[in-house]
Formats: sequence, C-alpha cells, structure tokens
Amino acid sequence: MEYLSTNKIAIIDLATSKITDQEVDEDLVRERIGGVGITMALYEQYQSEDPIVLGTGLLTGTLAPASALGMITAKSPLTGKVCHAPLTLYAGLELKYSGFDYLVIKGSSKKPVYLWIHDGVADISDAKDVWGKDVWASTDTIRELMGDSLIQVLAIGKAGESESDFAQVCINYWASGDRWGFGKLFGRKKLKLVALRGMSLLEVLDPEGFVKQCKELLSTLKAVAFADKKGIEEIPAAIGEEDIQKWLAPLVHRHQSCFNTPFPTNTFVFLDEDPKLLKESEKEEPGFLITDVYGLLGFKKLGLSAADACALLRECARYGIDAVAVAELSQKAGKKKPDEIKKSFSGLKGALENIGKGRFSPWSPPKPIFANFGGSQDAQWWERKQAVAYIFGIHPIFALMSPELSEEKLIELANLGTGLGFTSEILDKVIADISK
Amino acid sequence: MGIKVDPKKCVSCMACEMACGYHRDDGFALLSSCIMVTRGREKRDYSAVVLKEEENLVIARPEGLEIRRIGAVGEEAGADQSKSDASAKPLLLREPCDLCSDREDGPLCLQFCPVNAISMD
Repeated sequence: MEYLSTNKIAIIDLATSKITDQEVDEDLVRERIGGVGITMALYEQYQSEDPIVLGTGLLTGTLAPASALGMITAKSPLTGKVCHAPLTLYAGLELKYSGFDYLVIKGSSKKPVYLWIHDGVADISDAKDVWGKDVWASTDTIRELMGDSLIQVLAIGKAGESESDFAQVCINYWASGDRWGFGKLFGRKKLKLVALRGMSLLEVLDPEGFVKQCKELLSTLKAVAFADKKGIEEIPAAIGEEDIQKWLAPLVHRHQSCFNTPFPTNTFVFLDEDPKLLKESEKEEPGFLITDVYGLLGFKKLGLSAADACALLRECARYGIDAVAVAELSQKAGKKKPDEIKKSFSGLKGALENIGKGRFSPWSPPKPIFANFGGSQDAQWWERKQAVAYIFGIHPIFALMSPELSEEKLIELANLGTGLGFTSEILDKVIADISK
Repeated sequence: MGIKVDPKKCVSCMACEMACGYHRDDGFALLSSCIMVTRGREKRDYSAVVLKEEENLVIARPEGLEIRRIGAVGEEAGADQSKSDASAKPLLLREPCDLCSDREDGPLCLQFCPVNAISMD
C-alpha cells in the first residue's frame, strides 16, 4: 500500500516472542478501506489466538479534519462480542507514524512484557520495571527509560494486572474510550503497555488536491455551530444531560484537542494549583485531563463536588479502571464518599446497566452534539456514524458534531489520497461486513 | 512580516505542525516542521508553540512571548525546550520558516489552525 500508509502490519506473538512483519495488501485496502474494516479482517484471521488488534484509519494522521483516531479491536470480556475502542489524543497519530498501520497481538506471555513500537521496529521487552506500577508511574518510567517525553503509552494499571472486568487501557495518564474491559485482556496476556513513537512519512497520491479539499472542509467546519464552544463541559447539555459548565468552571485550566481536531473535546482541570495560572506549574501533578464525559457525569450524579469528582477521575486513571463502571456500581452500593469509592476499586464487581449495546464504544454520546444532521438519529444512525469514523480514522465524538464531514467528503479525500476508487457501495459493504 | 501565535487560543492540536511538515515534504510528516507545539509537560498541562525563523527562535508561551537569537543563545534555547521535549532540539537543525513563499495563499499553518491562534504579524 503506497499511499496514506506506512505499509506494515506487525504480527506479535507473545507466547513465542516472535514478531513478523507483513505489507498492507492494496487489495485488502480496496476491499476494506481501513480502520475497523481492516482490524476486523485481521481479528477474524487470527481469532483462534485471542488477538488484540490495534489499528489506524485510512486518513489518520493527515490534514483531514479530526483525523486523530486509532482503535483497539478485540473481544470484550464484558459483552463477549468483538468491539472497538477509540484511541484519541495523540495515540492514533503516533501509532500511524510508528511505522505500522496495524498491530496484531496474539497469544499470552508467561512473564510481564511491554511492546516498544518505533520507527518501523516492534520489540517485546521485559516489563519488570513497570509491572506493579500504576498507569502514571508506568508512563513516566517508560518515557524516562527511552529519554523521550513524546512517547504515547497505552497502559494498564493495577486493575488490568489483577484482571478486573472494568480494567481500562489508558492513554499516557488519562482515561480512554475503552469501555469494554480491554485492560483485562492486556492483563491476561501479561502485556503491561504498548509504547509508540515514530517519524514516518505518509505519501499522498494527489497531495495538492488532498490538501485543498482538507482546507475547504476545515473552512466550512470553522463556521458552524460549535465554533464558539470549547471543552468537555459543553457536551452534557448538548446531549440532553445536566448542564455542568458552572459546576466545573472554577477548576478549568485549559481546553485541549486531540490531533488535528477542530473542537477541543478534552478539558484540563487544576486541582492542586490555581486554574488561572499561565506559567508552568511548579507542581509535578497539579491536575487532570478529563477525556470521558460519562465518567465525570457519573461522579457528579453521586453528589460529589467538581473537585472531588475530578480527583476521583484521576485516581481511576492511575488505577486503570473505567470511571463509568466505578460511578455506576458506587451508586448501586450507596457509596458516595470519595475515600470509600477509591477503596472499592480493588475487587470491584457487579453487573452494569450502562454498557455498550453495539460494537462501538459508548464513550461517544448516542446523539448529535451541537449539530443538526436532519432526518432520524436513532441507534442505527449512531452505529453508522461511528463505523464511518472508525474506518477513516475520524474522531468519533467530533463526527457527531459535524455533518459537513460527510461520507461523500471522506470518500473523496480517500480517493485523492490513494487513487483506489472507493465508492459509497464499497463503504456500505465494509459497514455490513463489520456489523455481522 | 512573520507568523504570530496566540498561545492562549492554542488547543495543542498540532495542525500547524502537520501543515508545515506537508509544506516541507509534500507528504505527511512532522520531522521537518519549523513550527511545533511542545507537549513534553503533559502532566502540568503546559505547552508553548515554538517557531524557527531565519535568525530567531520564537517561543510563544501562555505567559508571554520570548524571542531568542539563534546562535548567540542557540544551544541554551534548544536545551531548555529539550529538557522534556525530545523533538524540540532538532528544531534548531531544521529549515527556518519561509512563510510558505511558494504558496499563493500564504502560510499553511495559519490556514489549518482551527482556532485562529495563528496570524500574520
């Protein structure tokens, strides 16, 4: 695969410590486009070996607006179905530029290991320096070991190591959209983390045509409904949940976008520092980046103050446990004090009602955000919006804000980038195939 | 005339960095960009936008702008940024900003910033 691709797939066998590289077959791309179209194909190919497949969309890491998305495809320990979790922030970008479009991680290691994926090389390393550490300490340790603070780290914490049903694969220090318990799969495989870094170059078939189209799309997006809004705190009211802006506002330090995403869906709050501080804090860990709206809402519904809710989100991320599950099970158990909730992380059990029904993570809200898409926006509409986003590598929450990023526009970009002649019929078939 | 960055508007999306990389390499890459968002102080939520001009390194920090003369304090400037940001140091080795002089529409970083944090000075 010559364009918009690093043309490599790594097949990593943790049981034998063998790693083999494959090229990305252009015929596979013609047939499955990319993203979950291909992670599903790879999952099916290796399904007898309980694989975890990491991948990127066809447009991930380009100038296409919101092209931030990578994904994890695996069988969810919570639902028993093959599901997809989003990799946002800079993780999708870094996976693409690490020199691999896809990673298939199969088998289980006997001892704890981590993967170091960089510049077209995949290594399995002994995890003795990080096993037993929480997510934050693990990320710090790996970055210090490699001497590079820009390494993106997909890590589990103690929840994953102890194979909790609610263990999450976190991104660096922050919660991810893994609402499927994929952290448990990492733990079961004795895989502590995947570290990503790379400096690849993605070739484009018609670079000027591609960039012109990206520019026009961005220009349209900048003029629409979300243009004067920022941050995760804007989202609840827009989806019919409680308005939390006033509640959170005193803590907000800054808003942060995922790679090349026009709307900053993440909000950094300062908990141990003045949120208005402009210069660099002298404190090592002054706050937390909120990336998951439902975790935040879940703790607010327990009656916690914004400061307590955000501090608990930080503890969840350190432990590597899904805050949404923690909030729901705390509610059921009548636990409302931060200390008792934190104590319950270890050994947390129970059935969740607030669980994804489809294949895509319920981290993305179930309805349009700020935007009017016209027509009916039912569960089927949402599944298709998510499928398209996960195929092309578009931020799945931003996809719910931007009717302008239509299927036609994304297909057009994919064709300008690759010349592979994608059509809406091919996209329909990919979506039908991954929905089986 | 040069690029001006308002770091208070910046949301660290790196679109400017990728646009600049495209201008240099005619493909998508970050290795040659002369503008970059420093992301090394992630836990502190502290970032700046650094631009390499012909003679200066312009560091747009939230608390204010700093301009350092390359050469006179070049090593110091590189070292300061690279303490926690591995990609900052090679910035000094990259080509300086040419304001996308071969492009009719002007600098690409400006056109791709989604929050209008970049303008022409």
